[in-house]
Amino acid sequence: MKKPAGLLPLFALLLSAGALFAHHGNSAYDETARVSIKGTVTEFIWVNPHSQIYVDVKDRTGKVVNWGVETNSPGILGRAGWTRRSLKAGDKVTIILCPAKNGRPVAYAGSGDPGTKVIFDDGRELDFVDKTAK
Amino acid sequence: MRIELLSPLALILLLSPVAHAQAPANTSAPAPRRDLSGVWGMLPSRELSADDKQSPGGEIPPMTAWAKARYDLEKPGYGKRAAPGGNDPILQCDPMGFPRILYFPTPFEFEEIKGRVLQMFERDHVVREIWTDGRALPSDPDPLWYGYSTGKWVDDTTFVVESTGYEDRTWLGAAGFPHSEAMRLEERYQRVDRDTIHFTLKIDDPMAYTKPWIALARDFKLRPRAEIRQGYCVASEENAFTKRIREPGALKTGATPRK
Repeated sequence: MKKPAGLLPLFALLLSAGALFAHHGNSAYDETARVSIKGTVTEFIWVNPHSQIYVDVKDRTGKVVNWGVETNSPGILGRAGWTRRSLKAGDKVTIILCPAKNGRPVAYAGSGDPGTKVIFDDGRELDFVDKTAK
Repeated sequence: MRIELLSPLALILLLSPVAHAQAPANTSAPAPRRDLSGVWGMLPSRELSADDKQSPGGEIPPMTAWAKARYDLEKPGYGKRAAPGGNDPILQCDPMGFPRILYFPTPFEFEEIKGRVLQMFERDHVVREIWTDGRALPSDPDPLWYGYSTGKWVDDTTFVVESTGYEDRTWLGAAGFPHSEAMRLEERYQRVDRDTIHFTLKIDDPMAYTKPWIALARDFKLRPRAEIRQGYCVASEENAFTKRIREPGALKTGATPRK
């Protein structure tokens, strides 16, 4: 990947900012990064302990890659305002997520990593912030 | 591929401490007398080490040779030795055990009934019974995933729990530290005001650690709007998740996925 100019200072900043927050801590994902994918939901699996969002994403050549996004349990998502009907196949979404370190199309978006969220085409957003916390 | 790195400015805003700063704490009402009932959630604390993550944390004492041999076999997904994949027992939905479940990031509830305080957890919908009828701990208990616990009020706001009889297949936390069946725990729940419990834990396990382990102190906040949900770990669902997301995420860069 071509490295944009100024990546190093930004990376250092992210590392220091990241240290201040509670991390999800799963070592498969790069939790210092936030990237966005845009595509069409193919499945939303609402199960314990890891709900999952699968999204078809087109690459630059037009090839469709199915991404698997790990997210929280129904308990944690429920307190963040989600229900099992929050996403459905066919929804057009952008997801801000932490990508896998190994470059595979799997990722994490959830309460462990602030800033991760789902944005619908009409601008509505679903985040992972606990709405029952005082 | 249509993956876009966020602009530096957006990232700074997303991750800046200002954006996530907590609102100033309200002054809380005084603690009620001898009452822990309610739903409680652990506050994020200042973790000084990766091994504090979802774990007792603090200054971890030296391990015995017995414990070190176990520790070397444990491959956690969290902490200083974290690596993708691994052999954490909860990946197969084995019981989390105590005290690990306390550090899992979902709330728990205290409920007092006659002769017992119940501690109810969302993960696996576990109910831990803490006997308050004056009985002694058993001298030769059967090992149990959540041990055998007794509790008493030592003053009007401090509830002390002693426990033993823990099944030794559980890890003490997500960072993969072992314990033996000889482990004894002392928990102190001090309700410092209506909304806050200050929690300390001493792990006394001479078979595994050369001196008592004093865990990182934590605070729990009252969560009146939260409810404990049925967060069962279902092995068939967890296995499907592992195959579709965990295993691809744990592959070495350039490796071929298993069909």
